[in-house]
Amino acid sequence: MAAPRKLSMKQRYAALTRDLDWDLSYVDEDTAYPYTSFEGIKIHDWSKWEDPFRLTIDAYMKYQAEKDKRLYAVLDSFAQGQGHLQLTDPSYLNAMKLFLQGVTPLEYQAHRNFAYLARFLNGPGPRFAALCQSQDELRHAQTEIHTLSNYNKYYQGFHSWNHQHDRVWYLSVPKSYFDDAVTAGPFEFLIAIGFSFEYLLTNLLFVPFMSGASFNGDLPTMTFGFSAQSDESRHMTLGLEAIKFMLEQDPDNVPIVQAWIDKWFWRGYRLLALVSQMLDYMLPRKVMSWKEAFELYFEEQMLGGLFPDLAYYGITPPRHVEHAIAEKEVLSHQVYWTLYQFSFAAGFTTTVPSEDAQKWLAEQYPQTFEKLYKPLWDKASAVVDNGGRYFYQGLPQLCQVCQVPMLFTEPGDPTTICQRHTEFEGERYDFCSDGCQWIFEREPEKYVQAWLPVHQIYQGNCGGPTVPDVLAWYKLQPGDNGEIAGNVEQTAWEAWHATSSAEEQAPAPVAGN
Amino acid sequence: MQYELRTQVIEPRRKTFTNLTERYGDRPATRYEEGSVDVQATANFHYRPLWDPTHEIYDPEYSALRLTDPYSFVDPRQFYYAPYVTSRAHLHEAFASTLAYLENRDLVERLPQGWKDLVAQAVIPLRHYESGGQLIGAYGCRFGYGTTITQCLSYASFDRVGNAQLLSRLGISLDGGSDGILVSAKQAWMADADLQPLRKYVELLLVESDWAAQHVGLDLADQLIYGLLYTHLDETALLGGAGAYSLVAQHLSGWFTDNRRWVDALYAAWGRDPEHGAANKAELSALVARLLPGALEGALGVARIADRCLDAGAVAFVETRARALAAAFAPEES
Repeated sequence: MAAPRKLSMKQRYAALTRDLDWDLSYVDEDTAYPYTSFEGIKIHDWSKWEDPFRLTIDAYMKYQAEKDKRLYAVLDSFAQGQGHLQLTDPSYLNAMKLFLQGVTPLEYQAHRNFAYLARFLNGPGPRFAALCQSQDELRHAQTEIHTLSNYNKYYQGFHSWNHQHDRVWYLSVPKSYFDDAVTAGPFEFLIAIGFSFEYLLTNLLFVPFMSGASFNGDLPTMTFGFSAQSDESRHMTLGLEAIKFMLEQDPDNVPIVQAWIDKWFWRGYRLLALVSQMLDYMLPRKVMSWKEAFELYFEEQMLGGLFPDLAYYGITPPRHVEHAIAEKEVLSHQVYWTLYQFSFAAGFTTTVPSEDAQKWLAEQYPQTFEKLYKPLWDKASAVVDNGGRYFYQGLPQLCQVCQVPMLFTEPGDPTTICQRHTEFEGERYDFCSDGCQWIFEREPEKYVQAWLPVHQIYQGNCGGPTVPDVLAWYKLQPGDNGEIAGNVEQTAWEAWHATSSAEEQAPAPVAGN
Repeated sequence: MQYELRTQVIEPRRKTFTNLTERYGDRPATRYEEGSVDVQATANFHYRPLWDPTHEIYDPEYSALRLTDPYSFVDPRQFYYAPYVTSRAHLHEAFASTLAYLENRDLVERLPQGWKDLVAQAVIPLRHYESGGQLIGAYGCRFGYGTTITQCLSYASFDRVGNAQLLSRLGISLDGGSDGILVSAKQAWMADADLQPLRKYVELLLVESDWAAQHVGLDLADQLIYGLLYTHLDETALLGGAGAYSLVAQHLSGWFTDNRRWVDALYAAWGRDPEHGAANKAELSALVARLLPGALEGALGVARIADRCLDAGAVAFVETRARALAAAFAPEES
């Protein structure tokens, strides 16, 4: 008898993963996997799924445990050494408040819904890949909470992130985005999150936050960013494999996938409106402008790099992309100007950009800043000089789909607010853009369900009829919101630094025995 | 003498996040608490699932077993991601050194024939059972209510893949680096008359709609099967010259003991719930009454194989254990 042939690495991996699966015979496949047919995607052979990465559980545990050990060591030493005093300015943390309130809950949602895929995709290969991603996403949610937990001890705006994510008006933008994805079927979720969020837009979402951290002395967040990078690259390859797999399985899948790309590009792009203002206005020390980031990470890398590859399958660049390109000159300014006026009801603070910041904005946006937005800031400054602070009185109208206030302008006309509306079952619904209107009209039954914060306030579901009632219901504390100048955070910061420079001048204590 | 390091002392404004001080008072929170308690959204969901418009995205009504406050259950192991992966990295490292030790000394090869048969015919096929457990955990992770519960289910799901891979490695080792035993074990899982009751039981569990029913059903089978293979037979192995079996079994029984800690804590939380406690107990009794016969039939099949290989009192052990389980979950006298 011949000696048994040893398994190759690839065979061994298959034996340890997809070979664990078996063909069910006591229940039928459609009962066990009931959700993979209603979306119209046709899969003929699940075994054609190419594992985007090969990790056995022992290797996964070892790498991840080592990474977490390093990350938590940094967090501990940062906390012990009062590292937060090394930030460029406490106002930098506005970016991180937005991140904890707006992005961390999305990581958590991804964790739960990749578990749904890990149960309900018919093939063992994609199920296992989804299970790994589910674990990673939980890691990201928790490491983000732990990274920002130390700031919460000294600064405002972090303390009720989970409560606020479900309630505060601007946070319904990210929440509704992800609720939309997890309520879709498994294939749409793969395109929405696996492909569109994790691949198409990830560099525009995560890189600005992590680079912002490194430019502004936020060592823990930067370390978190590096630590998440190897997970993210696995998620990107999963997203790319998912779309290729669907496109290769049946030509009928192509138009369905195309429509999802169209929808989720615009959905994600509108979410990025919050990131655009963060890059251009919130960071004390700038990394790059939104326009530059959009050109590099989206126009060059995606439109120039990815979509020519996808053309082979008959996929074209997303619908309405020309509006996003045209908007790059105005987006961040319009968004921050709105947040400036409504920050009395937000979990972060805003202020008139400094002279230096305005100079930088004028350089980055030579076509638009001085002409269209500087006059607004001059007006706001004049109010401040007279001892006031301009806040908008009243509540904004929200787009029924993206839930951003209706602040965007007509394509090609930066002075006219863009307004679209559609009648559905006798009701009128308003939209900020052609993109959002198009998304609504594909699935009106879904978007009429939206929990629109402003409507809810008017209906009395948000703590009471007055602004203070609503802010109390949001659990906002003094210093969380409003103007940066004179805020408790700024005064505390100045006091801490006054103390530390006084100590530096005193004779150094002798350390040692 | 001590170093006298001067550090800047800054009084923190707060000790932790608001939801935790509201729950536990003004004290620092652990990383487990910060990363787990109240993390799942509970309000103002925007849309209902296209594939299930009768439920909210996260909905306690996905199960008949309810907690008034889902966070009245916490994991006694305090596992958030980092300690979880650290603990499992140790488990897999320890298993790898056991396997290396056995291979270096040809100890698997030198197992008495009855034990080799047991491993090939009863133990290795259960890597598919573990794989079924993977799906059950993933289902619970999606549909459970409250992060402290779903987090445990998520890790349990991942653990099942890990356990399946431990068993697969043992099978590859027993076959000298090839997959012959894995292949025959899979055939047995699909066709061996003694394994069909267990496979049927797992497949039927997968289509239970209540995640807690799936979870409890798996636990019933686990208590019989892990009890048999990794506790009862472990003792037999030590007496019967099969030390190598015991060396392997310790890792699986160690995992089972660890897993029981949160499973038992969840039973306790269900039972003591101020509002749903009585209903939960009644529901659990009904679930066990409905599912235990299938679990028992499945485990008895495995026990019959064990007795054929070793005559180790396996069937008797499983029957006794099942009676104990039935008694433990019996409806309370009113």
